[in-house]
Amino acid sequence: MWRCEARDRARSGSLAHGSGWAVPASGTARRVLVIDDERSIRLLCRVNLAASGMEVLEAEDGRTGLDLARNERPDLVLLDVMMPDVDGWTVARELAESVETREIPVVFLTARADAADKRLGEQLGGVGYLVKPFDPVSIGDYVEDVLSRIERGERDQLRREISSGRER
Amino acid sequence: MTTVESSEAADRARRLQRVAELLAEAVTPEQVLDAILTEGVRAAEARAGSIGVLSDDGERIEMLAQIGYRPEVMRDWLEFRLDAPTPMSDVIRTGEPLFISSVQERNRLYPSLADVGQEDGHALVVVPLAVEGRVFGGMSLSFDHDIEFEPERREMKVALARQAAQALARSRLFAAEQAMRERMTFLAEASQLLGSSLDYNRTLRRLAQLCVPQLADWCAIDMVGPDGEIERLAVAHEDPEKVKWAYELQDRYPPDPDAPRGVPQVLRSGEPDFLPTIPEELLEEAIGDDHELRRIVDELGLKSSIAVPLIARGRTLGALSLIAAERHAIFTNADLELAIEVARRAAVAVDNARLYREAERGANAARALAYVADGVVLLDRDGTVQHWNPAAAAITGVSEDEALGRPVGEVVPAWDSLTTHVTLLAPGSAPRPVTVPIVLGGHERWVAVAGVKFGGGTVYALQDVTEERALEKTRSDFVATASHELRTPLAAVYGAVRTLRRDDVQLSELDRAQFLEMIESEATRLAKIVDQILLAGQLDAEAVELELTECNPADVAAGVIESAETHLPDSISLSLDAEEPPQIACDPNKLRQVLVNLVDNAVKYSPGGGEVVLRVRGDNGNCRIDVLDEGLGIPSGEQSRIFEKFYRLDPQQTHGVGGSGLGLYICRELVERMDGRLTVESELGKGSRFSVVLPVRA
Repeated sequence: MWRCEARDRARSGSLAHGSGWAVPASGTARRVLVIDDERSIRLLCRVNLAASGMEVLEAEDGRTGLDLARNERPDLVLLDVMMPDVDGWTVARELAESVETREIPVVFLTARADAADKRLGEQLGGVGYLVKPFDPVSIGDYVEDVLSRIERGERDQLRREISSGRER
Repeated sequence: MTTVESSEAADRARRLQRVAELLAEAVTPEQVLDAILTEGVRAAEARAGSIGVLSDDGERIEMLAQIGYRPEVMRDWLEFRLDAPTPMSDVIRTGEPLFISSVQERNRLYPSLADVGQEDGHALVVVPLAVEGRVFGGMSLSFDHDIEFEPERREMKVALARQAAQALARSRLFAAEQAMRERMTFLAEASQLLGSSLDYNRTLRRLAQLCVPQLADWCAIDMVGPDGEIERLAVAHEDPEKVKWAYELQDRYPPDPDAPRGVPQVLRSGEPDFLPTIPEELLEEAIGDDHELRRIVDELGLKSSIAVPLIARGRTLGALSLIAAERHAIFTNADLELAIEVARRAAVAVDNARLYREAERGANAARALAYVADGVVLLDRDGTVQHWNPAAAAITGVSEDEALGRPVGEVVPAWDSLTTHVTLLAPGSAPRPVTVPIVLGGHERWVAVAGVKFGGGTVYALQDVTEERALEKTRSDFVATASHELRTPLAAVYGAVRTLRRDDVQLSELDRAQFLEMIESEATRLAKIVDQILLAGQLDAEAVELELTECNPADVAAGVIESAETHLPDSISLSLDAEEPPQIACDPNKLRQVLVNLVDNAVKYSPGGGEVVLRVRGDNGNCRIDVLDEGLGIPSGEQSRIFEKFYRLDPQQTHGVGGSGLGLYICRELVERMDGRLTVESELGKGSRFSVVLPVRA
């Protein structure tokens, strides 16, 4: 029952467009899926990404997030780690294992700051690793930067930067 | 018979009678000898007389007493051989009296004596001293004129000798008995002393003290030290000044362990060393050119020495030395025998004391090994288990009986992985335990292992540090968890402020309101987590003070309901069910804190909504406050653990208020500090009941 509710919310999130000035060169708005069980974090991401002209999808748990990723094929996933039931590691693993979703770049957005966690994030195919607390104002620029670099073929370099300690 | 003759005969009979009376009164050999030589010689009308007896070995004649001879003559005849050509030797050998009328006759019979005692030489009588037909000595009488001995006079001398022999034999027997009794008494005393204590050093010192002056003028006890060195344990002399002197002498002239005589020789050979008279040349040799030493030795006046080994179970433990000097008579075989007996008993006592101590030490070591919390494993050089203490059995799950005598790799298959990283140390090195995980009996255990290699094999100390490690892990997990828990609300507060301050975006009124509410609630959440961490720390440090006052639990519960209702999800219905409960003694603030936490949990773990009830009842002299919910429930395996510090019911899942893993730990600690109990009953999927039971105020 509450899963459906989450989906409803995610849909409403997708309607929350920003001012629209940051539309990328391709002409279509970037679509970012935020998977986090914390309502406040989702709200922060939604408002600030929308302000960068991005379309935001929301999921409040891992299972919903996986479904949304498969169905909506977002341009990027912002992924929390510690979540009820299906955690962020599992989500990342399943995304990477599926032909449909393995190309979707995953950026971890988590309170886990250990080096071991970052290494795991890199191993699971993450292209970015943001530690809470983070600056939501620059999150749009960050996502844009990651996507541009991936388009330039720097995906592996982005991955390596996770555990090499380069902080965003 | 003429009148003269008869009066002379009567006179002789009277004199004999007088001697007999005196001899009858004499008890000691000295008294007997004195009676014979004064009264007997006078009764026989002799000028001089002497009494000689056969030595113990029957080869010599020892002069017991002499009277009337010139001192230099007496010195010459102190002792001579039984086979020497002398009148007394002949008499003792033959048992026949000898009557010599003049010096000419003597010189004819004993030519070798011709130039001896010329001026004393006149008539001479030597009569045997015999008891029950056994000759043990002889008595000589010398006269100041030549005499042709008439049968009657001869008879008188023989009669005198008979009396003397009986008295002397009796007194010597008495003296021997007396000496024997004294020895037995001494031995008994010594035995009692030796059995009195296990502190044998002290006992031996007292034994040495006991030996003087009864047994000797000096007594010394030397022991063989652990490295074979000679240790002087005791020196005794009646005069403490002399003892001091002896120690100085010992320091100045330490004994040569290779010396061919004395204590070193006794310790080496295990045989007694007996010098009835210490030969002059031996002293000369020992003194050498050392004038100081000569002065000391002269002053000591050493006469006779005995050194006997202390032997027990074939081992020479030490030596007992006795010295006769200024007072004690020259030692005899009897003294040697007594010394050997004393030494034997002393050795047994020392040996027993040492054995006892060893046994005690062994027993103590065994006790220590049996009760020490560390596993101790002793392997011989082949890796066979020689010792396996109960802690080792507990850690490995293999009993001592199963382990002993078997190769350790068979006993514990994981032994190699357990010890492969352990650096074996030499005895005495600082231990460097290595902590390794091993799977024993299907469970992973962390074991700290240290090993020491010595001549006889290897000894390992095993310590099960699984719990310490788990605790350490829980602690570091807690730090991680706490920091995660702090990071999320911090991210919300920080992010909300950053977003609110953006001037490039126009936020909707709704978003703005949501951000402000977010700041408030997340800041509250931060404060709560910080409070709990702090409170848990204070509880650990026993720094929480409770104020127990009389209070009505229903009032406290009502207050909790009231404040909880302000932020209750719509799906939850919260109610108070309080019958008139008894008054309790508690800290109302702390009780409130506990109930707030339990109600919060009940709400939090009822995601599908439902009823949460706070029920207050009197219960068997207690007051019982239940918090009931219809939520998720707790798996039975977890119910006992949820009160542990840092324990989290599914660490990935628990979020929201009080997500520090400390809430229930704090609740139980607080309740117990109010002499109460906090328990849980729960069924998965049906809900939980947390019960606070507090004693009713007396």
